[in-house]
Amino acid sequence: MSFTVLNPATEPAMLNAPFAPEDFTYCQALSEALLKDPQSREYPDLIALGFWLRQANLKPLLAPYQLQDFFRQPLGLIFHSAPANVDSLFVYSGILSLLCGNRNVIRLSSRSGGSTAILIDKIGHLASEFPAQNARFQLIQCSYDSPQLTALIAEVDGRVLWGSDQAIQAQRQLQMPAHARELSFGHKFSLCLLGAEALLQADDTQFQQLLQLFYRDQLTFSQQGCSSAKAVLWLGENAQVQQAQQRFWPAFTELVAQKQPLNASEQYQALANAQQLIMSSGTQLSLSQRQTISRIKIIELEPIFIRHHQGCGLFLELALADLTLLNPMLTQAHQTLTVWGVEPGMLKNWLSTVHTGLDRVMPVGQALSFSPHWDGVNLIEQFSRKVVCLL
Amino acid sequence: MLLADELPYALMAAAKTPRLLAELQALTLWHQQHCPAYRQLVMAQWPEFSVNSGDSQQSAGNLAQLPYLAVRLFKQLELRSVATEAVFKTLYSSGTTGTPSRIFLDRDSAAVQSKILVKIMQHWLGKARLPMLILDHPGVISDRSSFSARGAGIQGLSFMGRNHCYAFNADMSLNWPALEQFVDNYGDGPVLLFGFTFMVWQHLLHALKQSGRRIHLPEGILLHSGGWKKLEDQAVSNQQFKQTVAELTGITRVHNFYGMVEQIGAIFVECSSGHLHCPVYADVLVRRPGSWEVADVGETGVLQLLSTLPRSYPGHSLLTEDRALLLGEDNCSCGLPGKYFRILGRLPQAEARGCSDTFAPAIQRKDLSEAQAETQTGAAL
Repeated sequence: MSFTVLNPATEPAMLNAPFAPEDFTYCQALSEALLKDPQSREYPDLIALGFWLRQANLKPLLAPYQLQDFFRQPLGLIFHSAPANVDSLFVYSGILSLLCGNRNVIRLSSRSGGSTAILIDKIGHLASEFPAQNARFQLIQCSYDSPQLTALIAEVDGRVLWGSDQAIQAQRQLQMPAHARELSFGHKFSLCLLGAEALLQADDTQFQQLLQLFYRDQLTFSQQGCSSAKAVLWLGENAQVQQAQQRFWPAFTELVAQKQPLNASEQYQALANAQQLIMSSGTQLSLSQRQTISRIKIIELEPIFIRHHQGCGLFLELALADLTLLNPMLTQAHQTLTVWGVEPGMLKNWLSTVHTGLDRVMPVGQALSFSPHWDGVNLIEQFSRKVVCLL
Repeated sequence: MLLADELPYALMAAAKTPRLLAELQALTLWHQQHCPAYRQLVMAQWPEFSVNSGDSQQSAGNLAQLPYLAVRLFKQLELRSVATEAVFKTLYSSGTTGTPSRIFLDRDSAAVQSKILVKIMQHWLGKARLPMLILDHPGVISDRSSFSARGAGIQGLSFMGRNHCYAFNADMSLNWPALEQFVDNYGDGPVLLFGFTFMVWQHLLHALKQSGRRIHLPEGILLHSGGWKKLEDQAVSNQQFKQTVAELTGITRVHNFYGMVEQIGAIFVECSSGHLHCPVYADVLVRRPGSWEVADVGETGVLQLLSTLPRSYPGHSLLTEDRALLLGEDNCSCGLPGKYFRILGRLPQAEARGCSDTFAPAIQRKDLSEAQAETQTGAAL
């Protein structure tokens, strides 16, 4: 495959001061272009991105980084490699880096889906109005063995690799300069913690709200976003957990039946994947399957679940009498824990004992919201240099 | 007597179904006892039929209750119900792209498979071996580097014919001298032709049409397999296919067949009314995606295959990735008993939207399903 620039630059790309007003204006223009286009409505990820790009969102988000006792300067030339899955993800890290003043080159997968095509189109249309920003936000498509890519990586000051562990390792074959930094966001597995007692006590309004939020987290991307939960942890005594499950799952299954987020292929995948996990497991699991939701009762979080769970409406379920039982099962691959119905004080006490695993703990409903802190890394700090001046 | 000892289309449902159920039930037990992963699955998904449940173990009351395995598991796991030392032959579904299925056969399974295939074929071809025109090029078998399920399919079916002649050159152009000689030598009598559906269309029929030539094999029987996807893309119906065959070759007996490497031997052959028929050794169910309940006659769903043959690997009840609909049972206008059905193509690949698995190059994924559709049937022989 050749090396293609999707939004060619019309002027040389120059570094800018961090958080420059004209860069925010560019974001605002992209936001408006996305939110105004009726095509975006088919893609929940584009709508979310459109809202995130508004100045009204970005300025407060970045305000804390502007009041510090050092000079912030851009890192330089940053290469971002986007995953093919959650199509618009590349924009989040790319835009934060742009706002830090950097020059950015973003490699898009050739497998990118429909929402990426819309994004490429919008970004292309902004090129004439924002030539400076456009030059600092270059979208490319190329194969990993392209000579131009090798040459580009040899000049970067930093790179951001999103994607499967295999894709990240493949891209590490390309050498960066010695001083360059690398951020990698590989394969992750997320969890949802539900308090059984709170669920049983919830009134109908609270319960319906929980169902909607849980649905949004898990099924917006067919349970395939890395922060969508693939395992549900129930906190409580056994009998309570069983009762809570009996309240939760039939209602959730009904909601899924109404909304029908999964097509026949995805439903097949959930069943086939459930069978795969059951047959590969080191322990005897049990499956219950109702309409399009499959649930597997597990005894521990096994490594094969991280590698082979493919989402699509398949939930692993683990009952926990005590949160500390979870600690030995957590690995670096466990990313987001969404929580509902657990007392925050107790949760924080427990979190202080979790030395391995978990990068973010969020309320149920916010699994997919993007923050400058990702997988335990602060992107703003990583995309800039702190210049200390003691005069 | 086992169903395997019966003639392929000898039994109506009332006689077939109870025996089929009993044999499949016995296989469900056998595989649980000999394949630990399968035992784990039955215990997890159908605990009432699990050998682990001791005295409370139940038996299936009908075919629909029998446990079934998603066919892609043979790509992901090594599933055997015999010891490694007993494996006589391993079949692969696809040689070039993706992870192939691996099917392990011991001597007995391999023998039963060939015996049943011959029985079914003899019903359609008669007992005598016929001169055979293979609608492919000889390299498909001899060239090891490209030896695929397609080659395996041709090799398997070659067994049903004699005086084999390959109709194509290595570049898939018609080998006129060979073809003319075959027609001269055997054209007056019964002959057998076999090829993959798309190859027959593209490299025989299309080539004949282009060159304005015809061949005349009035007593020929054409068998073809491999799926309709590429022909559907060109909007070619089965009827149109047959009509073109008749026009350009004089052949009026044309039989498509369906099968897959994961369930060898008991293939499903198209009858004179144009429907795929179950032989007594096998059966089909159609399920609704999601609830996985059995669909009504005439309702589109996902095809489940049942076969009494697989004993060396747990493949007696498989949920395929093919969409299909059941047309009826014991009432086909061709007069043969058994269920008859229609294949409607593959379920599309579920789109990968997760953070995992974003590396497999696009081209591989796209080609995978077609390559498989084409080769699976071949290797079923």
